[in-house]
Amino acid sequence: MKNKHRLLAVPFIAVCCLTAAQVAAQGGDKGEAALASEYSEKGADTCLQCHSVEPFFSTKHARRDDPRTPFAGLQCEACHGPGGAHAKGMAAGQLVPITITFGPKSKQTAAQQNKPCLGCHERDSRIAWKGSEHETNDLACVSCHQLHTARDRMLTAGGQAEKCLTCHIRQRGDFYKATVHPVRYGTIRCSDCHNPHGSGVAGKLLVKSTLNQTCYTCHAEKRGPFLWEHAPVSEDCTLCHTPHGSVYPALLKKPAPLLCQQCHSPAGHPSVAYTSQGLPGGTPSGFLLAGSCTNCHSQVHGSNHPSGARLMR
Amino acid sequence: MTPASFRMLVSIVSAGLAGAASAQQSPAGAPAPDTSKWECKSCPFPQGAGGDVGVGAVNVNGDSYQFGRYTGLKKDTYLGLDASARYAGGAGYADFIGTDLGLPYRSLEYQHWLKGFKWHIGYAELPFLISDSARTPFSGAGSTSLSLPPTWVRGVTTQTMPGLAASLQDVKIDSSRKRLGYGLAFMPTRDWELGVNVKHETREGTMRMAGSFFLNSTQLVAPVDYSTDDVEAYASYAASKWQVRFAYQVSMFKDSNTSLSWDNPYAETIPGATLGQLGLPPSNQFHQISASGAYQFTDRTRATGSLALGRMEQDESFLPATVNPTITPVALPRNSLQGQVDTTRADLKVVSALSAKWGLNVAYLYDDRNNKTPQATFNWVTTDLQPAATPRTNLPYSYTRNLFKVSADYRVTPRDKASLGIDRDGQERTFQEVSKTTEDTAWAKYALRRDQFEVSMNYASGRRDGSSYTAVPQISPPENPVLRKYNMADRDRSLVGFRAAATPTETITVGLDYSLAKDDYNNSPVGLTYSKEYTVGVDLSAQVIQGTSLHLYYSRQKIKSAQAGAQSFTNPPDWSADNTDTIQTAGIGLKQVLIEDKLDVGADLTTSHSVGDIRVTTALNEPAFPNIKSDLSTFKIYANYKVKGELSVYASLWHERYSSQNWAIDGVGPSTIPNVLALGETSPEYKINVASLSVRYRF
Repeated sequence: MKNKHRLLAVPFIAVCCLTAAQVAAQGGDKGEAALASEYSEKGADTCLQCHSVEPFFSTKHARRDDPRTPFAGLQCEACHGPGGAHAKGMAAGQLVPITITFGPKSKQTAAQQNKPCLGCHERDSRIAWKGSEHETNDLACVSCHQLHTARDRMLTAGGQAEKCLTCHIRQRGDFYKATVHPVRYGTIRCSDCHNPHGSGVAGKLLVKSTLNQTCYTCHAEKRGPFLWEHAPVSEDCTLCHTPHGSVYPALLKKPAPLLCQQCHSPAGHPSVAYTSQGLPGGTPSGFLLAGSCTNCHSQVHGSNHPSGARLMR
Repeated sequence: MTPASFRMLVSIVSAGLAGAASAQQSPAGAPAPDTSKWECKSCPFPQGAGGDVGVGAVNVNGDSYQFGRYTGLKKDTYLGLDASARYAGGAGYADFIGTDLGLPYRSLEYQHWLKGFKWHIGYAELPFLISDSARTPFSGAGSTSLSLPPTWVRGVTTQTMPGLAASLQDVKIDSSRKRLGYGLAFMPTRDWELGVNVKHETREGTMRMAGSFFLNSTQLVAPVDYSTDDVEAYASYAASKWQVRFAYQVSMFKDSNTSLSWDNPYAETIPGATLGQLGLPPSNQFHQISASGAYQFTDRTRATGSLALGRMEQDESFLPATVNPTITPVALPRNSLQGQVDTTRADLKVVSALSAKWGLNVAYLYDDRNNKTPQATFNWVTTDLQPAATPRTNLPYSYTRNLFKVSADYRVTPRDKASLGIDRDGQERTFQEVSKTTEDTAWAKYALRRDQFEVSMNYASGRRDGSSYTAVPQISPPENPVLRKYNMADRDRSLVGFRAAATPTETITVGLDYSLAKDDYNNSPVGLTYSKEYTVGVDLSAQVIQGTSLHLYYSRQKIKSAQAGAQSFTNPPDWSADNTDTIQTAGIGLKQVLIEDKLDVGADLTTSHSVGDIRVTTALNEPAFPNIKSDLSTFKIYANYKVKGELSVYASLWHERYSSQNWAIDGVGPSTIPNVLALGETSPEYKINVASLSVRYRF
């Protein structure tokens, strides 16, 4: 299972791209507006003459004796940028905007708004923000997070679901289906499975290295390895399951026996067409009703029983 | 990953790490001022602790496991308590949140910061109610041994078990998780963080299972008694230009039970088969070391990479091949699996804004599951009935994935962006019909943003081709040679997405979302041949008049698929099946400020209607299946009244109704199917009212 050529090509491509990027970047930045100007004379005391953000002062960001927080340093201007011209202008009755404003009405791009945040937070689980799905879709940190409130909604289960599902329309509908992962009830959070700040290359913004590892976080009993593995189970849980919600039991993509018959058609009962004749009004069929295939092959996630080769023990 | 390529990967990352951190400057790039005289006299720092506490009662007037599936709510009156408290000092910070204390789903969280230290502890209970309509003749549900009544007379079929009806007893199937998590982090300097996070989770209760003696099956209630311990220790360092994180993670899963045995309710077709035994999930563990890093080459170019090396292990003692005393004990090649799977995951991503307008992204992922579990040939027993004629050899599946992504962005304006990309996704597998598949995807995206609206649209087209499709010789009986398993079959995929959001006035927001995914499996005579899914959604949020806000949404999703089957190898396919799921969800929410700063009222109504339509077509032209349906309507009205000062009262009335139909269980009693002694469950249906009243005090 080795592919030397491809593996060797990767660092080569990366180096080439990096070199090209470096060269190109030499002449860059011309189109970006300069953001810097002078700072205010008194810091927050100047800002608070006009702005009231009382809840902010009970948040982590406002711990002035902890040098890791913005309020131990440049205070409001740590995030909003130098406010000297803004303060002077406003005092003189002139509308001079603060260097950086946040939110949908901001004149700054998402990248410009995010820069102050990333100055401290671009590490650990946010290390791969640049190039991630949300970043490339021009989301700003404040598109989701609230900084001036006592509790950021994204740090609560209910607030997180509400915000995420504003854009993720399909998932919002999924959570009202017959079987779901209980995000709608607030007992698990979107961030239990997803890292919205970027998680590598595979996509889906998952919290763990692979999709299956993410599922094993709560379903470790399916991790195995088993003596008799069911090949798709060890490869990708979503080959059979849909993670957010399903019309069918156990978050399955479609009910058995049809789900199983997409991959199994040996001679005998697995290949038979089970029709409505097998319903209770006709000739009730154990291959169709109750657990269908799992009436006998109950160990679909793998069996460690020496006689479990057919996932029946 | 080869050692040579790994060394090159490391060299790129380490070259970045070797760069010295540049001196700190203000985020905006301006020279940092002297802030020693910034007194912050007017800053309203809180004095002492603050928070709120709410005490109340919740009455649920009905019982349904479907209603309480994820909350555990049953017909009862619960005393509830919500509380939060925060202390914010100059250098420290302590925060406590207690949610739904007194209810079956409850959680507590506490976190504490103090200049370089932070620690947290949390506890949560998560009920999972599975079924309240099951019936079984077995006693001992929830234990590892299920027994039939002493007077039980075995029958050839479920209809000829004379004591079945009289011995049926209701059994509830449910489980509950209890999760305790805690952690400590130490930040000796601004750049370093060292920490450990621990989680201990138990899951106790029951679950559905089934066991059979050849084709005579019984649905069973199996015990769940799991515990999982996860520990992660990490160290991270962040300079202005580069960041790294190293971590070690271990996850230990333990199942207190190893097997489930049950009395055979069917007449013995072979002597001695009076008891069956199933294996329960074996205890296992997973270890992983990981390193991730990033280097900011310039303000416009950043590289990130990670490497994770993991090992899954499972070595629980094997159960005997049978518990049938009339069968000569079967010798096993070893006493336990000695199961070991090594996982390697490495990725590298370079993101560069080549200029103010052009951007380039290059990414690579290597994901390897190397199953090192030793192979052996096992003599085995068919469902505790008789020794199998042909021994079986276990197949330790391995796979390797190589994913390449290259894309370019062009900023048409600072807020408009066009993107193009290509992906190549290669999979290699062992012991499977297709040893290698390659999927190439090209995609394009355009996003446009203005002050009052934004639009984005994307399209992707992909083609997956595999190497030759060859039957796996160890699989017996063999699959139909023209079957193509859909995760390895040749596939053409198309994806379309469109999203628009507009804010025509300060008080109105409108959104439209559409997505389409279509897969064609053109070279699959038998198996999944086609699937298509689309979702369309619309949203409207408006402030109708001062103090009145309205929110409306609607979405419709349709999931279609087609598959072909073959009852005979000689002339496939000879039957087909079409599956269409249609799901519609609509909601309306209204919130009204009746008395400014005194009384708010609101109402929310959501309905969801889903239909699963399945048609299996054969030469006999049988009628279609009845639809699988579910209808959910949930309506809630609420009011929040500020009595005086920091004291407020919250009241709500919540009505929810649900109905469903599922032909797989409707009308299927314990003796309906001759060879399946079923649990006799019914599709859930309920109408439940929930009233709550609470008093909240803010301090």
